[in-house]
Amino acid sequence: MTANLPILLVDVLGSVAMVVLGVLSLFKARSLRDLDPDNVVFLYLIWICAGFTIFAVSRSLSHILRQFLVLTGSGDIWHDIGPYTGAINTISFMLVGTVTLFFNQSWRINEKILSAKQKQEDTSAKLLELNQTLEQKVVERTEMLTSSEHKARRIFEHSLDTIMVTDPWFNIVEINRAGVALTGFQKADMLDKKMGLKDFLTIPSENERIFKLLETHEYVLNEETDFLRADRSFVRVLITGGVDYGAFGCGKTFHFIIKNINDKRQMEQQIAQADKLAALGELSAGVAHEINNPLGIILGYTQLMLKNPGDHEEDLKTIEKHVKNCKIVVSDLLTFSRKGSTKMQPIDVCKVVDDVISFLGNHSDFKNVQVTSPGPCTGPLKVFGNEQELAQVIINLMINACHAVEKTGRILVETGTDDQDQVLITVKDNGTGIREKDFSRIFDPFFTTKPVGQGTGLGLSVGYGIIRRHGGDITARNRKEKGAAFTISLPRAGAADDNPDREKTR
Amino acid sequence: MKPAVCLLCLAGVWGLPAPASAIQLHTGNAGIIAHQIGHLFFLFSMVALMFTINNQGLIRQKGWRLIQVTALFFIFWNLDTLAAHFLDNQIEVVRIETLSITRMAVVTESDSELLAVIYYFLKLDHLWCVPAMIFLLMGLNSLLKDQRQRSDSADGV
Repeated sequence: MTANLPILLVDVLGSVAMVVLGVLSLFKARSLRDLDPDNVVFLYLIWICAGFTIFAVSRSLSHILRQFLVLTGSGDIWHDIGPYTGAINTISFMLVGTVTLFFNQSWRINEKILSAKQKQEDTSAKLLELNQTLEQKVVERTEMLTSSEHKARRIFEHSLDTIMVTDPWFNIVEINRAGVALTGFQKADMLDKKMGLKDFLTIPSENERIFKLLETHEYVLNEETDFLRADRSFVRVLITGGVDYGAFGCGKTFHFIIKNINDKRQMEQQIAQADKLAALGELSAGVAHEINNPLGIILGYTQLMLKNPGDHEEDLKTIEKHVKNCKIVVSDLLTFSRKGSTKMQPIDVCKVVDDVISFLGNHSDFKNVQVTSPGPCTGPLKVFGNEQELAQVIINLMINACHAVEKTGRILVETGTDDQDQVLITVKDNGTGIREKDFSRIFDPFFTTKPVGQGTGLGLSVGYGIIRRHGGDITARNRKEKGAAFTISLPRAGAADDNPDREKTR
Repeated sequence: MKPAVCLLCLAGVWGLPAPASAIQLHTGNAGIIAHQIGHLFFLFSMVALMFTINNQGLIRQKGWRLIQVTALFFIFWNLDTLAAHFLDNQIEVVRIETLSITRMAVVTESDSELLAVIYYFLKLDHLWCVPAMIFLLMGLNSLLKDQRQRSDSADGV
């Protein structure tokens, strides 16, 4: 059989095409690997393409060379080099075959690498998410903690009760504003001087009891005691406290809440006093009413008999005198118990006080007493009441003060208003003051510290009754310097009270 | 093993009366046999590649399907060349005589026309290997395209 061009053309063109395609394939494989350098399969493809390219080049060159040499009559040369090109061909497709056989393993390795990479990415994503969640939670918890700390701090700072934190030896570690106000010391001073609870609880019996409770039970609950302030005055307080063994590395501390019950106690005492005086007033009113009529009859008959005295004139006059004294006492009792009738109208306190001072200035008992007023009474200090009764109360207070200074001291009469717009009249003296035990009884009827025969003990109680009827109050206290001070507080008269038509009778 | 026994064995081997044949002579067919084994090995690796692509599920990707077709064409090419080499190099029942630049003659030992025709077509082996390389290039092109799309989507483009 004779063949011609097709074999030659196919051989030469095919060889050229193989070389071109091999090079292009190698180029594509390299591009592929450049996109993902870690991909083992793409590396494998480079190897296999390289093998194909070597195979294609060696084979094609050998074929072209053979055709050329044979056609140019140099078959002998081809005969010499043919084995070499054949061997190179063999090696090249052996190389391709060897590389190909590793494809399966390459793929598995690549799968494992991809799987590990995916796991790593998943883990990384989870870690990132956890980290973000953790960060978010930290932010949230921090905000909550800050808010909680802020609330706790506000409660501590703005509490109206004293909150005190002490070390195990009861020395102050922290104290709030109310505590600073209660103690009267500066906070820095208390901390610098290492002041402690023992510096404020100075009543030995109570002190011992409270600290014994703290040592044994490590807490105290609503223990009432006196609390010494910086100005050496006492306030009545209620102490509650307990131990805190601490957390987060904090040491053992004691926390105390100290409640100032001074005002409450005083108010309770005042209420008790008012109740007692009200009861006494009721009793006195009943007694006075029952005695008043017989006294009137006795006085009437006595005065009738004095028209024809006979031998008993002196006796009858003695009876008349004592009956009149009894009538005065009964009248005072009725005044105290509010059973009398009084005409009420707007009155000027300044005028009343000035009248009383000028009136008593002429009294023999006040000759050696210095009665002063801080300045001219600036008004108008008007109250709604009865001028004679108010003057009577002030006179009683000044007479008491005169006796307290034993007629040779100093009496100060002040007028003014307080922050609740109450009109205040204060009578101060530098006398002996009031004994502590007498405070609860000084407004009681018939209670007196004067010698027998010098006082009926009705002056303050009558004054108390009058002032209460005026809607006011009267209080007594000992002055820091010396002596006592009585303060009358009355509601200030408003514009409506100035109308004269508003006069009324109580 | 004790040194005395080793020395005894060594002496025994040395003392054998046969000639040393460590380097043997290769006959003229050794080259073609090696070449044929190379083709068989190449064929076998292409079969393995086809199965691997199938087994690993790569057939779902167009690129790998094309590479599988490449492997198939190379299998045919190897069969073609194996047969051709068998006829002309191994058993030498056929040869080509170049008559001119445009004419060749397929000469068979038995003047078999059929064998000549078969050999003629077997010589056109580029009809297998060139398409194989074309499919390989197409397959790589497809894989490159897929990979670029994957990279772009991963980059959020």
